[in-house]
Amino acid sequence: MQTLPALLAAGFLCAAPLSAYGHPHVFAEASLEVVVGAGGKVDSLGHVWRFDDLFSSTVLFEFDKNKDLKLDEDELRSVAETVHGSLAEFDYFQFVTHDGKEVKMRAPVHLVATFDDNMLTIMFESQPEQELKLDGKVDFGVYDPTFYTAIDFTEDELMMVQGLPAACTRAVIRPDPDEAIAQNQQTLTEAFFNDPMGTDMSKIFATRLEISCGGQG
Amino acid sequence: MKKTTVRIVFGLLAATYVLTHFLGHAHAQSSLGIGANEAVLPSTGMFAGLLNWINVHQQQFYRALTGSLKSMRDGGGGQWLLVALSFAYGVFHAAGPGHGKAVISSYMLANEVALRRGVLLSFISALLQAVTAILVMTLVYFVLRGTAISMTDATRFLEIASYAMVTAFGLWLLWQKAVPRLAGAFGMGRAHSLSAAAAHAHHHDHAEHHHHHAHGPSEVCSSCGHSHAPDPALLSTPAFNWRSAWAAVTAVGLRPCTGALIVLSFAFLNGLWVAGVVSVLAMAVGTALTVSLLAVLAVSAKNVAVRFAGDGRMGNRIHAAIEIGGAALVFLLGVTLLAATI
Repeated sequence: MQTLPALLAAGFLCAAPLSAYGHPHVFAEASLEVVVGAGGKVDSLGHVWRFDDLFSSTVLFEFDKNKDLKLDEDELRSVAETVHGSLAEFDYFQFVTHDGKEVKMRAPVHLVATFDDNMLTIMFESQPEQELKLDGKVDFGVYDPTFYTAIDFTEDELMMVQGLPAACTRAVIRPDPDEAIAQNQQTLTEAFFNDPMGTDMSKIFATRLEISCGGQG
Repeated sequence: MKKTTVRIVFGLLAATYVLTHFLGHAHAQSSLGIGANEAVLPSTGMFAGLLNWINVHQQQFYRALTGSLKSMRDGGGGQWLLVALSFAYGVFHAAGPGHGKAVISSYMLANEVALRRGVLLSFISALLQAVTAILVMTLVYFVLRGTAISMTDATRFLEIASYAMVTAFGLWLLWQKAVPRLAGAFGMGRAHSLSAAAAHAHHHDHAEHHHHHAHGPSEVCSSCGHSHAPDPALLSTPAFNWRSAWAAVTAVGLRPCTGALIVLSFAFLNGLWVAGVVSVLAMAVGTALTVSLLAVLAVSAKNVAVRFAGDGRMGNRIHAAIEIGGAALVFLLGVTLLAATI
């Protein structure tokens, strides 16, 4: 009886493109600096992303209008503008939650792009839209929800907090993909049936900075 | 009772297919606005564990691949390592996103394509995709660089052309498959194209021999012990139609893959001409292997299903449904991708 295996195979085949939660084509080494101001309020998030050689070559290809194999100021400005414009749709890859509730971030006024050692670096700063006071649990995730870019924080120290209140602790959480899937299997399956295009895996996998503040904050 | 089972099984398969293929082709444009992302499909579901495994490997190979290119730039050797990594990346990559696999499999479901030819089609389309990538990058490097036309624009143009072709092709297939049958149902014209699997669903294991040994159109199949009706290819819509096969292959091959473009831009800028081209070709061979495997699975499943249903009216109906369904899927895939891109 070969029918069953064949049908199973067919079932797998039909579902196969699910694996298409894509894969990154662009890699960036990132750092994040959370600046905490007076009264334990978050002032700003500062981002620095240094892109890999290959993507940087692509950028050079695209934006080197005068063909000198360098990106001068004008060219860098148009890189920054292009990226700025595109990231708007994806919340500039910033995903902040306060006790599990989403915190809106303001769009950065502009991005700065530099090109040294054949590598593109993008920097920008963004503020919370409304006052964000550190109490309870505040999580900062930086990732590309489309999986096009892998934003890597290679060391825990690259997620910094400046002016961390004494009552708070900082932790960098790196979910283990298999565990994350196991823990979320139920929700994932439900979410899939409720809204096949709504959930994104990147949220579960992404490295995040968690600031926990005891009692009074 | 058997009928009901068959219907349920097919209902489930069709539902899975539609759910996974056609919903949420959300971001064809890349999030950074530079380079073209591949259409992203929904990211959750029952196979999350396995798919994560595929994804992790794909990423590892891509990173290793970029690493080996960098070491070649810095004067290190490693051509063969690069070829091996590119190949492995291609194998895993094709299990991921991309419309190539879906179009080729659906086309093979809609037509009676002998498995060997299906494999050939997979290889040609993957190679064509590699050639497109190489041509685009060469053109960009030597001609377009410094003009207002960027690589992203060029890719986008090809992408839209590719999806438009898939749509048109799907429509044409649908016309070919559905119209004669509908006409037949109303008593006009003859119902043709009850090909291979249905036409001779004997009780011996038939689906198997297509890949075990090849024989010419009306040759005797020695292991079967009796001569059987003409080869599937002759029975189906006129014969195997190379024009329609080329349409499928071109539609798929027009859209260069993002990884290939990025690898080439780096290789060209650093003068690693041969390495870049060889790497992209190796990727194509890897991709073709996976696509072939999936296409063969699709057709085998179809043959099993038709055989399972027997050679009565039910078998014929299932056969017709799969063919029309395959054509409809190609069309739907094209429309969805097009809508996401424009």
